[in-house]
Parts: sequence; structure tokens; C-alpha cells
Amino acid sequence: MNANNELLSIADATARIRAGKYFSIAGDESALAQLPRGNWIGGTIPYFMTAAGGCTSRDQVFVTEIPAHGETPRLRLCDLDALPMICHNAPDNGFTLLILPAFSQAHERFAHDAPNYEDMYMKPLAGWIAGIHLDDLGKRTPKVFLGETGEMSDQVAAVIDVPLPAEKMARIDIINLFRQGDGDAITFTEAGFSAEHCLVNGQPAVLSDYLTALRIDTRLPLVADYCGAMINVSFKAVVPSEQRVDFYAPVFPGQVYRIAAPVHDYVTAFQEAIPSGIDGLTFSCNCILNYLHSNLEGRRTAGVTGPITFGEIAYQLLNQTLVYLSVEG
Amino acid sequence: MTDIDLLYYVLELEQPWQILQIRDDLRSRQIDVWVGTEPPKKSWIFGRKPPAEEAREYVWRHANLGTMRCVVHASIPVRANTANLPWCGKADMPFTRAMALQVATMISQGMSLQRVCVVLDMPVEELWKFRRRLDSGQGGLATDGPTATTPAKQSGSPGLVADPDDPVWEKLLDGSANIDIRILSLKLLLTKMREQMQAITDQEVRLLKRYELQRYFARNEKQLGHELAQLRRH
Repeated sequence: MNANNELLSIADATARIRAGKYFSIAGDESALAQLPRGNWIGGTIPYFMTAAGGCTSRDQVFVTEIPAHGETPRLRLCDLDALPMICHNAPDNGFTLLILPAFSQAHERFAHDAPNYEDMYMKPLAGWIAGIHLDDLGKRTPKVFLGETGEMSDQVAAVIDVPLPAEKMARIDIINLFRQGDGDAITFTEAGFSAEHCLVNGQPAVLSDYLTALRIDTRLPLVADYCGAMINVSFKAVVPSEQRVDFYAPVFPGQVYRIAAPVHDYVTAFQEAIPSGIDGLTFSCNCILNYLHSNLEGRRTAGVTGPITFGEIAYQLLNQTLVYLSVEG
Repeated sequence: MTDIDLLYYVLELEQPWQILQIRDDLRSRQIDVWVGTEPPKKSWIFGRKPPAEEAREYVWRHANLGTMRCVVHASIPVRANTANLPWCGKADMPFTRAMALQVATMISQGMSLQRVCVVLDMPVEELWKFRRRLDSGQGGLATDGPTATTPAKQSGSPGLVADPDDPVWEKLLDGSANIDIRILSLKLLLTKMREQMQAITDQEVRLLKRYELQRYFARNEKQLGHELAQLRRH
């Protein structure tokens, strides 16, 4: 399904980089640090979906080749001040891949503000949130890399802008197996990565109390309906003692959320959900929560491969969703 | 005409409004003008007489005077009617009406926010704040005067993408025209814009939103055949 995207040894990835092509690369920090300088951006994560199935590796890297059709792609690190202009500065025809370090201010600001960035939704923007091995939580920080200079950062974004000729166009789409369940409508009066109060069917409630009382399985995300696109907000923690619920993406006022209906067999459901005719994907990524909750280690997702990430970007930040980008025409 | 008379003229200040104080800083290229209803004192030694009526203090960025930034510090009596005064703004808005209209006109003509900031010499955070307030319905542009914001039209292929003034865009934004959407970016954009339109009552800002949506369709018409076919039926 994914052309030229695969898990490689450091030696093989090095050879590819030295051939002068352009790449987005995912891998453990120690693996990425061994790669030579070249035309690549990278993000840390040791979990991958490969053609053989889901796997964990600290000494291999997942290499996504970026098509260069004539005009040269532009690679850079992008700080907090420049992030709001990412779509405005994108090619008039083309696409942008963005990698953000999890837990950074850039990640948080993007999550909150991206929907209001200038030219957002006008130009294709995809990407992922760099993470770490779950055993390294608290010991290491997620990072991005700029292959041109060898720089790495746990605070800024890595970006590649890819111009396309007029006859081609980039398309971004998602596969989200979660649908809104039949339960209560939950709304929020403020945006945020955490919430204490909410409205349940229009009535004030304390969200942590609500989730605890109904014994909600918090492996199931909140789901909002965006004109037919199901958009998840995943639960990170429920802290009843502090009457607080934390999320992996912000909730927004104006959206009606419902707890997702369960998905009983992710792989089967994924196979059924994948649209016909998607082939030769330029980029894709899927969520670590899907990987863990659905036991995807060793299991395949219909040949759609890529890093398993701490968040996904399809214009805005998503959770528990597979994002893919294709170039058509 | 004296310099002060000229300032009254360019700021469109009329009775009972008075210029109370001016501070110009040529080095930082900014002129600050204090405006109120009290006449200026010949000497500052005794200080200002407290206003007879309770007044609120506001600070707004006004349209530039040549290459100089202009900031208006206004002392507005609570019961004063300031509707349509161009040197005045709305409470909690960063700009006077004249400046807000100028910024909105630039944006509607397709100028990027970054470019607007460069041309008007203002920090981008100020402009973002203004833009967010418009989008959330907290600010407006409409006056009783002639409309200045005539957004630039984006041309799609003739007959494929409706003209920006076509009522189909308002219908799509207010939900009265519901279409099946296949393109993810349109689903996300329309969700955002419908939520904004629920809060926006200002007609000029609503017009800007219609033009923004039409611009999206004109730009992406190659991918939007399914959606455009449905819009033509509305």
C-alpha cells in the first residue's frame, strides 16, 4: 500500500539518505542520532506498523520517502512564533508534513490553535506527534530532527514543505473506527486538555464523577461529529480526587461529544473500513492507543504502514486515528 | 489650518470631543492622542478637574497617520453615544472602527495577516486577537456608513463554483443547505465556520466568512466535484 515506506536498518537508511532523496524518518532517538546528514526530518518513536505487522524496535528506523516532483522540498525546524504561519508559508500546490514533540509547548499550542491558523484547511497539512518508548516515560523526552543540519529539539517542530506540479494534488484522509455511541451528549464551555466541569445532556456535571459513576471504559475516546468526520479526543487520566479529567487532545466548546461505541476487532474492522483504491500512499501513521488497546503487535492493518505515534495530524491534532496522505493525478 | 486643526480633521473629531493631550515620539514613530469631552487646561500644575460625568478609559490603535502609528486614549462618558465614531472602538477590541475596517478590508482583499502587520506596523499578536474576536462574534465592522469591505472574488471555473455573492454560501454556512461531503478538509473547515457563524451577528463579518468559504471551493474545485454538483442544485 505504501510505496517506498518501510522499516530499515541504520545501514540501509543511511544508503537511502546518501542517495540524496527526501525522507520523513521515525525511530528511537539513539537510532536517529546515527543517521547521516541529508534531506530528512525525523521524529522519535520506536513503534511501527510494517508490512509484516506491528513491531517495536530501538535499532531500526521507519523511512517514508517524500516524492520530489521538480521543485525542491523545503525542510526546516519551526519554532512557536513561526508555527501559526505554517499553512500560509506552505506551497501553493503541494503538501506539508509536520512532526511535533509530544509534551512540548509547540504540541500544546498547535493542538489549541491550529484550527484558526491562517490558510488552515486550504492547504494539505499532515503529520504526527513524536513520542518515546513507554518504558522511557519520565526519563527521556520526545524529539524531532532536522537531517540537513543534524539539529534535534524537544521544543520545536520539524517541517517539510513539498511542492507539487499543477497536475498533481495531495489528499489527506483518515480512518477512524470509532463512532459516537448511543450515550449522553457531553459538551464543554471551555477548550482545554483537561476538564473538571461539563454539561451532560445540557445539565451541569463533574466529568470525573460522571465517568466513574457510569464505569465508562476510558479506552474508548470521546467522539465529535465534524460534518461527517468522526474526531476523537482520547482520555489520558481520570483523577477523581481532583475532579479532573485529562485528554490527549483538547476538547472544544461548540462540539457535542459522545463516548465512542466499542470496536470489537480492530484488525477486521480496519480491513472493512479501508476505502477501495487507496494505493501508493505517500505517508501514513496510526495511534499508539490503537496499537496498545487493539493488540496490534504482530498484526497487520491491510498493508497500511507507518510510525505508531503519540498523536496524529490531519490539519488539526487527532487521537486514536489513522491518517494517510496520497498524491493524486 | 493649524497643526491641531489638522489633527482634528484627520481624526474626524467633532464637538463635543476634544483633544486633551498629544504625545509624539518621532524616534519610535508613534503619536498618542488623548480624547475626551473636557477642554484642555492651559497649565498642568493644578491637574485636571475630575469629569462631571463618570467616564471609562479606553486605548485603541487607530489608523496610521502617514508612517506614524496612532494610538487613541479616550475618556468616554458612560452615557455617551459613540456609535459610528471612526476614532472610537468597541470595548475589549484593540482597534478603532477606522482601523478595524482598514484591517478587514486588507484581509478581505487576500492580504496575509503577516503582510497586514508589516504594512500597518503592528504586532501579529494584536492582529490575531482581533481576528479571533471577529470569528467568535465578539467584535464587528458594520457601521451606518457605506460598506468598505468588498472582499476580493476568487474565480473558480465558470459555472462550477458559484459567485461569492450567491446565497448558497450563506445556506451552507447556516446549515440550511446540507450536502454529502467526502473531503476531510471541507468537513473540518465547515464545522469550524458553522460554529463561528452562530456567534457572528455583524453582517460585514458574515460576508467575510462567505467569501472565505467560496475561496476554499475555488481553490480546491478539482477535488470538490461531488460537493459542487450538490451545491448547484440549491
